[in-house]
Amino acid sequence: MTMWIGRRDLLLTGAALVLAAAIGASPAFAEDAEASAFLKTFAEQMAAVVNGPGDTNAKGQALTPLIDTNVDVATIARFCLGRFWNGASPAQQARYVTVFHKVMLNNIRGHLGEYQGVSFDMTGTRPQGDDVVVGTIINRPNQPPANVGWVVSRGTGSPKVVDVVAEGASLRLQQRDDYASYLRQHGNNIDALITALERQVSGG
Amino acid sequence: MTMGALKSATAMVPPLVLALALGGCATKPPASDADAVADYEQTNDPIEPTNRVFYKIDDALDTYTLKPIAQGYVYITPEPVRTGIHNLLSNLSSPVLFANDVAQAHPRHAGDTFMRFLINSTVGVVGVFDVAKSMGYKAHGTDFGVTLGVWGVGEGPYLYLPFLGPGSPRSVTGFAADQALDPFTWVPHGYELKTMNWARFGMTAIDTRSRLLGDLDKIKATALDPYASIRSLYRQHVQSQVDEAKQPEKLTPPSWQAP
Repeated sequence: MTMWIGRRDLLLTGAALVLAAAIGASPAFAEDAEASAFLKTFAEQMAAVVNGPGDTNAKGQALTPLIDTNVDVATIARFCLGRFWNGASPAQQARYVTVFHKVMLNNIRGHLGEYQGVSFDMTGTRPQGDDVVVGTIINRPNQPPANVGWVVSRGTGSPKVVDVVAEGASLRLQQRDDYASYLRQHGNNIDALITALERQVSGG
Repeated sequence: MTMGALKSATAMVPPLVLALALGGCATKPPASDADAVADYEQTNDPIEPTNRVFYKIDDALDTYTLKPIAQGYVYITPEPVRTGIHNLLSNLSSPVLFANDVAQAHPRHAGDTFMRFLINSTVGVVGVFDVAKSMGYKAHGTDFGVTLGVWGVGEGPYLYLPFLGPGSPRSVTGFAADQALDPFTWVPHGYELKTMNWARFGMTAIDTRSRLLGDLDKIKATALDPYASIRSLYRQHVQSQVDEAKQPEKLTPPSWQAP
């Protein structure tokens, strides 16, 4: 009898241990449901605008509020300036963030506005530091399907997109390399960079 | 993005690169500016002025030749025909892909490639129709540059080459190895076969460029420094390919076996 109880206890302890290990280990393997749901909603809203009626301009107008609510533009702006952010004066920082916001809207509109019949499939999530990468495959007509990862951060309290990784290439890193190269060729002059961006936004 | 792929041109490239490299090297920033030195090391583009010259030449060639040809190709050829041509070209590169799958120790990928070649060459009418895809043998791609990366060979400094585009010593070595691994390189030089090889290289260039029409042109239009942006995207893309190839293979059960 004692023997039996002993064995049962052992079994229970074993089961509890397995369960605890499973629960403890699960965050590493589990899907990040919140990030995934957030991105799915955002992507569906964007796809609805892109595939909907209206010309490129009208679609651009409709995309703007979506981007402003779901993308952490300030964090991306800061990342893209890299080591030059700390060297910039508060006035330069403000001017830069303002123009960066416009540049980003222009680029996204340019990338999405002219497509019709865009669809996407969710492929799962994986952690990246404190953030989560939500994987998608984007299908566009007459184009090969593209692997696109959306880096979702909760740095501001609610989930927001802070980077887009297309076929393994981070677009904010590409932007930072672009700006760094421009700055290097213009004597690390932040005002020159801001002016160039303003010129680009105004279509000059 | 080793497009273009003109064999005899590549033979001219190394001496040309060497000649220009000696003429134009990037100036390393002074050691007192630690941030600038870190940037320089990270960029790893010691012959940047030379690379930029080649980029400009390539960009002009692209603007006036390859891009309009690719646009014309998209304009006059219906989408299903273009997909068929793309499938045919992919099928022709199966032997090279298979060799790389084996060299990367990816038996499942190698099996996929083998089955795809077998099915698409026969049922798929010499590769025009991707029948194997619907049977669960999905397409993937790799090259010997990635294989070298998997083996632990470093990428080396950035190179921008005429016709070949962005690259590195590793990617150029890989490109040469892929040519050597290609059975079509070694067929006897009869007139028709030679013509077929040239047609294949030309068609590959047009097919690749047509598939990049939207994306590459947007990058060029929105970047302040397209050269630096392409360098960044190329490097990241290659690194992600090598990282992925280093991962142990995922289980890929055929679709009829999936739960």
